[in-house]
Amino acid sequence: MSKVRIENIHKSFGGNPVLKDISIDIDEGELVSILGPSGCGKTTLLRLVAGLETADSGSVFIDGRCCDDIPARKRGAVIVFQDYGLFPHMTVTANIEFGLVARKENRALRAKKTAHMLDIMQISDKASCYPHELSGGQKQRVALARACVLEPSLLLLDEPFSNLDTNLKDAMREFVSDLQRDLGITTVLVTHDKEEAFMLSQRVAVILDGCLRQFDTPRQIYARPRSIQVADFIGEANYISGTVLSGTFSCFLGNFDASGRPDGSARLMLRYDHLIADPDGGVPCQILEKKFRGRTTTYRVVTKHDPITEMYLNSPIDTLQPGSSVFVSVSAGSECVL
Amino acid sequence: MNKRRLSKITPYILILPFLCMMSFVFAGGLLQAVVQSTGYMPVFGMYDVSLRYYVQLFSNARFMSSLWYTFYIAFVSAALSVSLGVLIAFAVDKSRSGESLSYTLYKVPIIIPHIVVAILVIQIFFQTGIISRILFALNIIQDATDFPLLIYDRGGIGIMLAYLYKQAPFVTLTVFTVLKGLNKKYVQVAQNLGANSFQTVFRVTLPLLAPTILSTFLITFAFAFGAFEIPFLLRSPARLTLPILAYFDYRSPVLAHMPAAMATSVTISVISLSFIVVYMWLLRAMTRRGMEGGGFL
Repeated sequence: MSKVRIENIHKSFGGNPVLKDISIDIDEGELVSILGPSGCGKTTLLRLVAGLETADSGSVFIDGRCCDDIPARKRGAVIVFQDYGLFPHMTVTANIEFGLVARKENRALRAKKTAHMLDIMQISDKASCYPHELSGGQKQRVALARACVLEPSLLLLDEPFSNLDTNLKDAMREFVSDLQRDLGITTVLVTHDKEEAFMLSQRVAVILDGCLRQFDTPRQIYARPRSIQVADFIGEANYISGTVLSGTFSCFLGNFDASGRPDGSARLMLRYDHLIADPDGGVPCQILEKKFRGRTTTYRVVTKHDPITEMYLNSPIDTLQPGSSVFVSVSAGSECVL
Repeated sequence: MNKRRLSKITPYILILPFLCMMSFVFAGGLLQAVVQSTGYMPVFGMYDVSLRYYVQLFSNARFMSSLWYTFYIAFVSAALSVSLGVLIAFAVDKSRSGESLSYTLYKVPIIIPHIVVAILVIQIFFQTGIISRILFALNIIQDATDFPLLIYDRGGIGIMLAYLYKQAPFVTLTVFTVLKGLNKKYVQVAQNLGANSFQTVFRVTLPLLAPTILSTFLITFAFAFGAFEIPFLLRSPARLTLPILAYFDYRSPVLAHMPAAMATSVTISVISLSFIVVYMWLLRAMTRRGMEGGGFL
């Protein structure tokens, strides 16, 4: 039985559909990301799971229990909001204890659990501070501690890293990933950051225009998007036109496996990372432009026998110059025919 | 003068007309009252400067009884106004999706002058007032004197009813404005963490509104403490509030009562001003703790 089951959820605001027929199953202890651009309805989906919004139709099941009539406070699904939502009139300790006090847990147990959380989150020295005295990263740890201390059956993270600067973001991602693994809490993370979704989650649900376009492992979403919309959203995709004949796709780059695809015209999707500037041979191309990006350099190339098809490729080599020739080949097993 | 210095003093130049008025009317009047309260009134041939009028006042049973009575009226009416005003603010906030009637209806008493309110209270709550007449018509009371004395009473109930009618809407207006602007996400966070409605109100919403509630309490208290017309019209002949006491002393044909009247006025001013100081101090303490509300941390 899945831990969370989102079944045929529809939701609209003022006649505008925001979520259309969303169904997702999440397993116990899994970390799933809901990935999509701003305004695609992903936060609404999270709020629906938490019980802070009501669906027009469809249901949410947590531990097999239909949550349609269960209020937010009794669902056991705790949200960490994007802007943390720390109560400004309470100290860090009081903030963390809030849910335990609401549950009327006894004082000694409360103090023990809070101290343990402060310790796990490495913020024991901030216990008596007020939220406005904390840095962004510390606020986030408090918000996480306040949620985790309740040992929720489901932890919902709404763009938790979007307010942090790059270095802190990396550190906090690592921290949350370790925490989730150690505590084993089933977690749903809402994000618009692809890298973040790929790094942290076991599975990713891509939502575009209110529809669930693909729910798969990060590797599959990246290398085997099921549609051009998903491939485009993940970005850095080259599309090469060709034809499929008896399960084989043919284009100027060669022949590729397209089993299960009907015969006819199709497109081959190749990520920038899947094209290689190969000194040993491949399709002869000319470099039109180069962009240095730190770890890699992106080259815009054009094939010599088809001057209208431009392709982009990422390479660790930064020494190739625009105007020079280069051989381009496809990294084995990376092709995806759409 | 350089540009930076000019921009620094511009606000002070702009409020100069107000400051002139204030210093002339308020500070000037207060200064004169302070001088006269020491017994220095050359017009009447009184030149001795001393604090004896204050000493006499604070050892005078009539003054002390009046001081406590004024405190009692101001405190009880402010406490009741704030409690009722906050309740109405929550109700108006809840009915936000409903009709806009609630938005305007509660503001009506703010506009009505105090003197009209005093007359309304008499018309409604006096022994020959509307309620008494209804009860009589329903045969619940047999005579006007069966109806309890709510106006001109020693307990000041009539005075407090009038204040309640005037001040509760003021509290509502202020608290509702802040409540409306308060980030509703805090309420959602509280519910999400398992708090019920009662816990959410008492542990989250009310503490976040505390600075506003406190300030409205201090304002309504200070107003009731220094107000004249409502206690004058609705008072019991046996109990006087401080402003009325000062007025009677001031109007007294006995010249020697004049410094006492001024000493009473100065006492009222000092108490009211000390409330402003307490208010500023509390507000600063709360702001330091990030309790100005609204912002999401």
